[in-house]
Amino acid sequence: MNTAIHTQADKRCDLAHLVSHVREGDCVAIGGGLSLREPMAALRELIRQGTGGLRLVGSAHGIDVDLLCGAGLVAVSAESYVGFEQDFGMAPNYRRACESGAVEVRDSCCYTLVQQLRAAIAGLSFMPIRSVRGTGFMEMHPEFRTMTCPYTGDELVLVPALQPDVAILHAHYGDAQGNLHIEGPPVADILFAKASRKVIATVENIVPPERLAKVGVTIPYFYVMALTEVPYGAHPTSCYPLYAYDRRHTGEYYRLASRGAESFRNSYLRTYVYGCSTHADYLEAVGGAETFERLASWQQGSGAWMNLYV
Amino acid sequence: MIYQIARTVEDGIVAFHGFGSPLVQLALHLAKQTHAPRLVLVAGATYGVNPNPPFLAPTTNDWVMSQGAQCHLDIEELFDLAASGRVGRMFLSGLQIDRWGNMNVTRLGHEQLQLKLPGGGGGCNLSCDVAHVTIWTGAHRASLDGKGRRRFRLVEDCDFITSVGHRSAKGKSRSEMGYRGQGPDNIVTELGVFDFDESGHARLAALYPDVDVAEVRENTGFDFPVREDLGPVPLPRPEMVDLIRNLDPLRIHERELAPQERARSFALA
Repeated sequence: MNTAIHTQADKRCDLAHLVSHVREGDCVAIGGGLSLREPMAALRELIRQGTGGLRLVGSAHGIDVDLLCGAGLVAVSAESYVGFEQDFGMAPNYRRACESGAVEVRDSCCYTLVQQLRAAIAGLSFMPIRSVRGTGFMEMHPEFRTMTCPYTGDELVLVPALQPDVAILHAHYGDAQGNLHIEGPPVADILFAKASRKVIATVENIVPPERLAKVGVTIPYFYVMALTEVPYGAHPTSCYPLYAYDRRHTGEYYRLASRGAESFRNSYLRTYVYGCSTHADYLEAVGGAETFERLASWQQGSGAWMNLYV
Repeated sequence: MIYQIARTVEDGIVAFHGFGSPLVQLALHLAKQTHAPRLVLVAGATYGVNPNPPFLAPTTNDWVMSQGAQCHLDIEELFDLAASGRVGRMFLSGLQIDRWGNMNVTRLGHEQLQLKLPGGGGGCNLSCDVAHVTIWTGAHRASLDGKGRRRFRLVEDCDFITSVGHRSAKGKSRSEMGYRGQGPDNIVTELGVFDFDESGHARLAALYPDVDVAEVRENTGFDFPVREDLGPVPLPRPEMVDLIRNLDPLRIHERELAPQERARSFALA
C-alpha cells in the first residue's frame, strides 16, 4: 500500500519537472472543486507535456476535468460531477468525450469516494457503506460487493480502497520541505494527499518554515513529493482570499469549448495552453496585472464582489 | 417555488443545500429567517454552517456563499453526519424523475450513451442516508418538440438511477433495502406540489393558481393519483418575496427557470 514518505529538506522544482511526476495512464486526483482552487497551471503544463490515458477520480469538478478532456488526455472519468452548475451548465468537452466513447464513464459519488480513500489511508482493502444499493452505480461498478454485517445482520456495500497514483494540488502557501497550508474549504485535498502514492503541489507562495507553521500546516511535508511556486496557479478558478473566480475568462472558455472539439483546440488551447510556454506567458495572455487587480477587488465589499459576476 | 421548498424544511434539523441549486439555497435561507430559526444550515460545496451570504454567487463554492459562517465542516464530516442519521433533509433534482422518486442526473440512453449528464455529486449516497428528501425541478413543463413529441422531466422510467426513491427499478422497496432515510416526501415543480402516498407513489397535492390537473397530466410521463383535498399552493407573504429578492440581486435562481415560467406572477395577499 502507501509506504513512501518524503523527507528531503528541499523539494522545490520548476513546473515542468513537477508535472513530469505524472505518468501516462496514471490514476489522478485533482485538488479543489467546481470553481475553487483547482491546480490549473499544473494541468496546462500536463497538456503541454501530452501525458495521456489518465484515469480521473474526484468529487465535484468543472473546468479542470473539461480542459483535460478537451486536450484528449483522459481515458476514464470516475468523477461524481463535472459541469459549470447553473452558471454555464454542462461541460462541453467532457460531454463530447464521454459521448464519443473517448472517455469511459465510471461516475462515482462523494461518500463512496470518501470511503474508498479512507480505506487506502487506513491501509485496508475496503470500507463498508450503507448507501448505493438500488441505484445504477452497483451495475456501473461491478467491483462493489455486498455483505451481511456479522454484528447487525444488515446488508452493506463494500467499496474497494482507492489509491490514486498521483494527487495534483494547489495550495496557498508551502515551505521548501513541502508543508502545505490551504485557506478555506480543503474539499477532498487532505484525503487525496493521504491516500495517493505521490502528491505534487503548486503554491501561490513559498514561505519560510516558521511562517508556514504560524499560519498552520494543512498537509504535512512527508506526504508531498515536490512543489513549485506558481502565483495565480489556480486561475481561472478562485484562490480566495488572493483572487476570486474569473467568471469572464470562464465564460470565454465555455463559448470556445461549445463550438466543437477541433475549434476548441485551435482557439482556446492554442491561445492559452500551447501558445504559452511559461506560466508568465499565460498570465499576460489572460490580461496580466489588470485582471488580477480585478479579481482581488472582491475585498472592497459586496458591490465590487458582485460586479465580478455581472 | 422557493417558498414551497422552504415549507418542507423543519425547524431544528440539519439541512444541506448541495451545489447547482439556487432555488434551494434561497429556500433554506428563507426558512431560517422565518419559521425555522433553529435550522442548522449547511451550505453545499463550502460546507459552511449557518452562513449569511451578502448575495447568491453563480457558483456554489465561491467564498461569497460561506460569508458569516459559524464554522465549516469537511466533506467527510457532512457525509458521516448523513450516514449516522443526523441530517434531517436534503434536496435533490434530476433530468428524469420517476413516480417513486428515483432520479437520473448521470446519463441518457440505456445501452448506448446518448447524452452524458454532469453527474449526481453526493446525491446517490444522500438519497439513501438523509432522513427526508425534497425533490424539486423548475422544468416540469414538457413542451412539444418539432416532431410533436414531449421529452418529459417526470418520466415513466429513468434511463439510469442516480438517486434512489421509494422503490428500485427492480421493484425492491426502500424498507427492504434497509435504508434509515425515509426517502422523498415532496416533489416541488413550477406546476404544483406532489406528496407520496403510502405505497411510495407520487400524488398531486397542490397546484399553482394558473395550473389545472389536466395541464399537469399533459406534462407528466406517468399516471398519478390526486389528493382529495387538492387545492392551491399557499403563497408567500410579500415580505418573504422581498427577502428573496434582497438575497439574490443577480437573479441567479432564474437560471433554473425557462423564460415563460419567469414571466408568471400571482397576486399576493
